[in-house]
Amino acid sequence: MKLHEYQGKEILRQFGVNVQDGKVARTPDEVRQIAREYGQSVVVKAQVHVGGRGKAGGVKFSPTEDKAFENGEKILGMDIKGLTVNKVLVTKAVDIDAGVEYYVGMIVDRNVQSYTLMASAEGGMEIEEVAAATPEKIIKHRVDPVTGLRPYEAREVAIKAGFKGNLNKIADMMVKMSKAALERDAVLVEINPLFVGPDGIPLALDTKFEIDDNAMYRHADLADWRELEAEHPLEIEASTYGFAYVKLDDGNVGVLGNGAGIVMTSLDVVNRAGAKPANFLDIGGGAKADIVYNAVKLVSKDPDVKAIFINIFGGITRADEVAKGVIQALNDGILTKPVRMRIAGTAEDEAKALLAEVGSPLIQMYATMFEAADEAAKDANAAEGK
Amino acid sequence: MGILVDSSSRVIVQGMTGREGASHSRAMKEFGTQVVAGVTPGKGGTDFEGWPVYNSVAEAKAAHDANVSIIFVPPAGAADAVLEAAHAGMPLIVLITEGVPTVDMMKAVQEVKTLDAASRAEGGQGVRLIGGNCPGLVTNGQAKVGIMPNKIYTNPGRIGLISRSGTLTYEAAKLLNDAGMGTSTTVGIGGDPVIGTTFADVLPLFEADPDTDAVVVIGEIGGADEEAAAEYIAKNMKKPVVAFISGRSAPKGKRMGHAGAIIMGDVGTPESKLAAFAAANVPVADTMPEIIDMVKAALSK
Repeated sequence: MKLHEYQGKEILRQFGVNVQDGKVARTPDEVRQIAREYGQSVVVKAQVHVGGRGKAGGVKFSPTEDKAFENGEKILGMDIKGLTVNKVLVTKAVDIDAGVEYYVGMIVDRNVQSYTLMASAEGGMEIEEVAAATPEKIIKHRVDPVTGLRPYEAREVAIKAGFKGNLNKIADMMVKMSKAALERDAVLVEINPLFVGPDGIPLALDTKFEIDDNAMYRHADLADWRELEAEHPLEIEASTYGFAYVKLDDGNVGVLGNGAGIVMTSLDVVNRAGAKPANFLDIGGGAKADIVYNAVKLVSKDPDVKAIFINIFGGITRADEVAKGVIQALNDGILTKPVRMRIAGTAEDEAKALLAEVGSPLIQMYATMFEAADEAAKDANAAEGK
Repeated sequence: MGILVDSSSRVIVQGMTGREGASHSRAMKEFGTQVVAGVTPGKGGTDFEGWPVYNSVAEAKAAHDANVSIIFVPPAGAADAVLEAAHAGMPLIVLITEGVPTVDMMKAVQEVKTLDAASRAEGGQGVRLIGGNCPGLVTNGQAKVGIMPNKIYTNPGRIGLISRSGTLTYEAAKLLNDAGMGTSTTVGIGGDPVIGTTFADVLPLFEADPDTDAVVVIGEIGGADEEAAAEYIAKNMKKPVVAFISGRSAPKGKRMGHAGAIIMGDVGTPESKLAAFAAANVPVADTMPEIIDMVKAALSK
């Protein structure tokens, strides 16, 4: 689960990180109120789950209350990469030129089977850009998942990265970030910029924080932070069914299968067939007819979808259950788009018999995933006049 | 022969009395695996479909001289189940469970590695963890410690198979089976970001196995395990390897079902994996059936 900046800051604050003061506003009036309360220049920052807010005009320096109100009006309701800004964070502005901006972050790194701590004196820009332009400026260090980052390690990394300022306090902030990551199951945490003022004291100006969905059961206090409106409506519906579903842009073929690997490969096969997958949908292992029914319903709802490619290799999933779900969707009038299926594995013959009995031209079975994908691609492209 | 498991493997099932544990215990037995006991804390001393159930791995291991444990414990207790088995000195632990928190896996994997090194330093067999979120492993005609469908393993052969994906493991095994080549051992290493055993850990075992002639590696987007495998192959392997990469058309930054299948920045891209395999002279199949042709071609050289 991705957190907003203000939420990530809230967590870091709980772990004792020195975070820049700020408050959330939902109306321009609230923005003015907060600016008045602070009695100084502020920054109004869009709270949306996408990168590049600044470039999109979603972060604005506001020297006066009136300017803060005006910026609030501009940013609230703004569309950033398809997401509407409903909230802004109003923070006390900092004189960046009086200090330096650094980067520290931790990410789950499968290559070291733990977290990797990253630190760079090139703060204030996306770490991916630093990695691309000057990779030598990023210091990396494996964090022991049992002990967490120790102060001496943090100091070593800070020194290697060339950080100036109060080294103990900077290292302490890194240690606290590591504690927050481990205890709150972060898959990613960044403090960027980590601002060090003329007094040498570090201050977290912005953060990215993402929590492991598998661990959400032990962070019940954060469950309210999940924002369904921030995701695609079909993804929200999919989550109520418990599907792994990802809406894909510019697609015309709905794809569903049993297992992440087979669905990933199905996307590739649709691409090779000259069409574009409109979604990733994994019905999981051992799905019964009702789950398949819901999956077909969901994919059929997508206006982008012109044909559906179903790819099943039944192990624990029974092919006849899949067939029953598809037939039920057809009988209920939910299925109006051509379904091209490849079903292999457990109860394959029973499934074929069931589908043959129905004999609908909307549902066709093929021996291989390639034939099924080719037909689905042809149907989808034809429907779009391609 | 094959690697890691064979007809002499004595297997216990942690979580045998749960729904998944029960059905797969039966399927493993049908396959011919020596399933010797189950472990369910609180149900020790009872009998489950003819298998004795113990409260702890240590008790089950001692009573049955078990050397493999397969885990079907729910996510919240799965890493703890791994540690229990590792501390009981189980040489091979297979974690099937999907959805284990990554931090739990980091801690468990690190501790298993420490125990493994300590065991080896004392001349022991070590401790190896396969998974989690994996389909397990099969040595054809001998033993299955996993959840693969039994019927795709009818044709023992001499091709080793390693995969990050469960369903694609079945797909590849079936293709090899139907092509009359068959597999020696299949190892599903799992689709999570932090797993106990990687491609590069399994490849040396196949290289040393007299019953394996060639190896098929089924990778996917995300991480750099395929790159590490390519490096190992280039430096150390004499047997031919054929690769396949799933998710080549997936967009960046979107997680494709598997928690590990995500392209982050420039890490985990199909381009990087293709380049690594090309540098190691490993052919990469564009489609799964092409794997068969490439294996045939590699073996005829």
